[in-house]
Amino acid sequence: MNTRGAPIPVERLEILWYVIAAAGLVLGLRLAQMQLVQSAEWRLAAERNRSQMIHQNAPRGRIYDRHGTAVATNAPAFSLIFLPGKDRRRSDLKPLAEELARQLSRDPAELLESLEQAVREESAIRIAENLPTQTFFRLSELKTLYPGVDLIKEARRYYPFGRFASHLIGYMGKMSQREWRERKPKGYRVDSRTGRLGLEKIFEDELRGRDGGLRMEVDAQGRLKRKLEEIPWEAGSNIHLTIDAAVQKAADEGLRATATGRGAAVAIDPRNGDLLAMSSQPDFDPNAFLSTDPDEVKSTVVDLSEFNNAIAGAYPPGSTFKPIVGLAALSEGRATVEDSVFCPGYYELGGRTFLCWEHKGHKRVSWLMGLAQSCDVYFYTMGLRTGGAAIERYARAFGLGQKTNLPAFKGEKSGHLFGPDTRKKSGRNWWYDGDTLNLAIGQGELTVTPLQMAIAIAAFANRGSVWRPRYTQKIVYADGRPEYSPKSERLGLVPAKESAWDAVQRGLEVVISSGTGGGAKIAGLIVAGKTGTAQNPHGEDHAWFVVYAAKPGEPASIAIAVLVENGGHGGSTAAPVARRMIFAHFGMQDPAAPLPPPVKKPLPVTPLPVLPHGALR
Amino acid sequence: MSMVRAVRSQSGLSGRVDWTYVGAVAGLVIAGSLAMLSAASTTSFYSSILQKHFIALTLGVTLFTLTLAFNYQVFQDQSKFMYGLAILIVAATLILGRISRGQRSWIHLFGFSFQPAEMARTLVILALADFLDRRARRIGDLSTLLLALGICGPVMVLVLKQPDFSTTLTFVPAIFGMLFAAGADLFQLVAIFGFGGVAISVPLIYTICQLRYPLAAAHSLPGMILATSRMGFATLVAIGIFCAIGLIVWRISSWMRVQIKPAAFAAIPILLSAALLSGIVVHRQLKGYQRNRFVAWIAPQSDVQGAAYNVIQSQIAVGSGGMWGKGLFSGTQSQLGFLPERHTDFVFANLGEEMGFWGTSLILGLYMILLWRIVAAARLARDRYGYLVCAGLASTLAFQLTLNVGMCLGLMPVAGVPLPLVSYGGSSLLVTLWTLGIVANIYARRYALL
Repeated sequence: MNTRGAPIPVERLEILWYVIAAAGLVLGLRLAQMQLVQSAEWRLAAERNRSQMIHQNAPRGRIYDRHGTAVATNAPAFSLIFLPGKDRRRSDLKPLAEELARQLSRDPAELLESLEQAVREESAIRIAENLPTQTFFRLSELKTLYPGVDLIKEARRYYPFGRFASHLIGYMGKMSQREWRERKPKGYRVDSRTGRLGLEKIFEDELRGRDGGLRMEVDAQGRLKRKLEEIPWEAGSNIHLTIDAAVQKAADEGLRATATGRGAAVAIDPRNGDLLAMSSQPDFDPNAFLSTDPDEVKSTVVDLSEFNNAIAGAYPPGSTFKPIVGLAALSEGRATVEDSVFCPGYYELGGRTFLCWEHKGHKRVSWLMGLAQSCDVYFYTMGLRTGGAAIERYARAFGLGQKTNLPAFKGEKSGHLFGPDTRKKSGRNWWYDGDTLNLAIGQGELTVTPLQMAIAIAAFANRGSVWRPRYTQKIVYADGRPEYSPKSERLGLVPAKESAWDAVQRGLEVVISSGTGGGAKIAGLIVAGKTGTAQNPHGEDHAWFVVYAAKPGEPASIAIAVLVENGGHGGSTAAPVARRMIFAHFGMQDPAAPLPPPVKKPLPVTPLPVLPHGALR
Repeated sequence: MSMVRAVRSQSGLSGRVDWTYVGAVAGLVIAGSLAMLSAASTTSFYSSILQKHFIALTLGVTLFTLTLAFNYQVFQDQSKFMYGLAILIVAATLILGRISRGQRSWIHLFGFSFQPAEMARTLVILALADFLDRRARRIGDLSTLLLALGICGPVMVLVLKQPDFSTTLTFVPAIFGMLFAAGADLFQLVAIFGFGGVAISVPLIYTICQLRYPLAAAHSLPGMILATSRMGFATLVAIGIFCAIGLIVWRISSWMRVQIKPAAFAAIPILLSAALLSGIVVHRQLKGYQRNRFVAWIAPQSDVQGAAYNVIQSQIAVGSGGMWGKGLFSGTQSQLGFLPERHTDFVFANLGEEMGFWGTSLILGLYMILLWRIVAAARLARDRYGYLVCAGLASTLAFQLTLNVGMCLGLMPVAGVPLPLVSYGGSSLLVTLWTLGIVANIYARRYALL
């Protein structure tokens, strides 16, 4: 009924209703799309929202020596973590960073930066790792004051011997941004630590376990509400080495005790090429990289010498090369053990004078005395008789001038072989007798690594077998795969007459019993070796000592090469290191040494609980 | 107690009440209360919310019933008083109101706080319906249109002064819907609201260009739009082009002997130019937070922690609810505090998370039934006044529904518009129930005999 005469335009109302219905339809369709079609994706987003994964570093696989002594293991540690809330403001982070900096004695600006990164990435980060248990209660207060801060318990790497085979075992460190991007698909996190050197790096994939974690429900402020799920960690695979911890320790300590404290020592089992010890000095304490004190970590990194003298240092072998010259002369029939040479203290060749180290001269010497006294004039004569080419051939047969194929280690040097053949290959066709004289006493352009010398002396012990060094006894896989143990590998055999081997071995024994190597004489053992004092254009002579030892009636079970940089005389500086190692190898007490300090037992390693959650509310 | 007697004397009333409509209202209030109470359960003043909600609900139901009791034509008779009251309460808010969240939109009286803007909107609808009823014979005149805007303008300006942009916005569909339903000239209507639309969309387009093409070359289209903010040469060129196009179209139509008023051709370019200019002014007046809301709507991924946070969290809440929801009181998004404003503006998202698709479609369905019944009430109303009131209420209610739900679903920018009957808010619930009571009244008295 129209009160004012004009008709009511009801058709307009119809249109209005259609518009309203269309709006309702659009909303309904959108609802169906979101809640029915896409709901799985949105649910995932909600799940990501409400839960935070707190990762717990899994214990790494342990590294054992040949007798089952752990040389790298794990210890429980606390980590201070920060969970960024979803609606956290930048301004909230500043007081937190300042408080944390005060508690942890760190730089607040640096801390603030990592906190901000956590907020940006919306993932939990570790503010401090490997905190000692004593600080636990002090830091526990923080988590009640600042939401998002929490303490978790996890496993950290622990090296019970500290400074021990550092270059062999390596250390753990943080990844660079680029490395992390490469490793991310393998499940590494931005704060994961990886092996940075040596075995830790080589066996990273085997040693690394699968990290566990707690999936926690968090609220918008990042406060942990309750535990949703526990993912147990899986420990890494254990690796058993051929290294003998006692020999290694003797090598490390022996080298450290020398005058310069720089050098390398390598011990090998001549029967199979097993590496018994490999030491390079100066070394480092791998535990220091995991320290909670950032200053200590920083100074360790600054002082770090990653250079492994044992495989990467090339030195002239000096007199330790003489047994090879002798073997070449005797085996090739260029000389007999009876042939004698008169040493007036010098040797003249075409108007040039080559001195013997003993300026007074050794008078008349034959093979045994020549080697025992390391008479240079005797070896000049032998060298000229044998010829540079033959000596070079024998040196190559002993593996000099080539890498020893130490598996997987980076940075190994091949050294430099010196002889007419090598010289021809480098495009120089001349070879003079003067060069032969230099070669005969292990000088000139000849350089070798301590590892090469250890293999060479082992070949003298076993009469010609040149082994590929082996350090992995077995890998015991955590996932139940069958054990892996690489076989010993003979790379070559030095072709020499039995009589020549006999003569050289006899000569090497005389070196110890009544020659320059008297410092390594040990009652009850057959010890044979050679000292070396290598001239070095850069300074003081390098001290060498190569030796093998056997129980009477048994084949030699250890062959050692020791080098002390700028150590002077091999007999007085390098031989005592080898002596210690031999005593350690045979489990004997050195009667000459003062009473050893009581053996410091490594800290007991408490087994880690599988899932620690005492640290969480 | 004359009112009680009035109810009794019209004993036939209950038979004429639209029970479908009442059922939809009751369903919305119940479902809404459940969702709202679940969402509010994590807030620290939960018991106070519970208390206020049930007091408002009781008062609202009483008001609904009381409004049903007397003839709605009283409102038409008293329309001048209605209008005066509207002006009074919004003016009083500006003078006496307390500032909260940067807005002076609350009045505190005798220990109660009240938000008068929504009540003012209903009062304006009642007053405007009376005006349009009186002008029924001259509804096609431009003067009617302008006077109608002149009536609503002061109230809207006062609300905008609070400043409450969103509530002001909800006046627009009510006015447009009523003018449209009253039979206003379509050309004039489209021109005037087109003017407003352009004025709003220009800053919107501008913001889009700023976000998407911040480094656009000066000669490209986005670059030219960005240049308009300086009100320089480009704007003048645009106005010139509008005028030229109008002139050309007029020439062509006169050649083709099409009978169209030349004024129409003049009006289009003039309106467009004015709109463009006003758009620039609006853009310069737009507050920072309002711009952020635009940003959050246009590019929700651009700043998750900032303005877009609400939009994303709300969508996650709704989407993750799935078909059956996570159960009342156990939605992770809302109970863990990721969803903002979860018992007020974003209550629909909370409902979507905890009750799933069946819950949201129930609410949406109830709303559509409610709107359908309001439109039916308009159609069956005994007079033009009732017809217009219902059309206005349906428009504004549908607009609020679209804006609020669309916001929760990421279809609309974040505007602080509550979902009527569902969102927490005592005065909103009270006013809405009273307003819906008027509609029930109009329906119940659809026969002129009463």
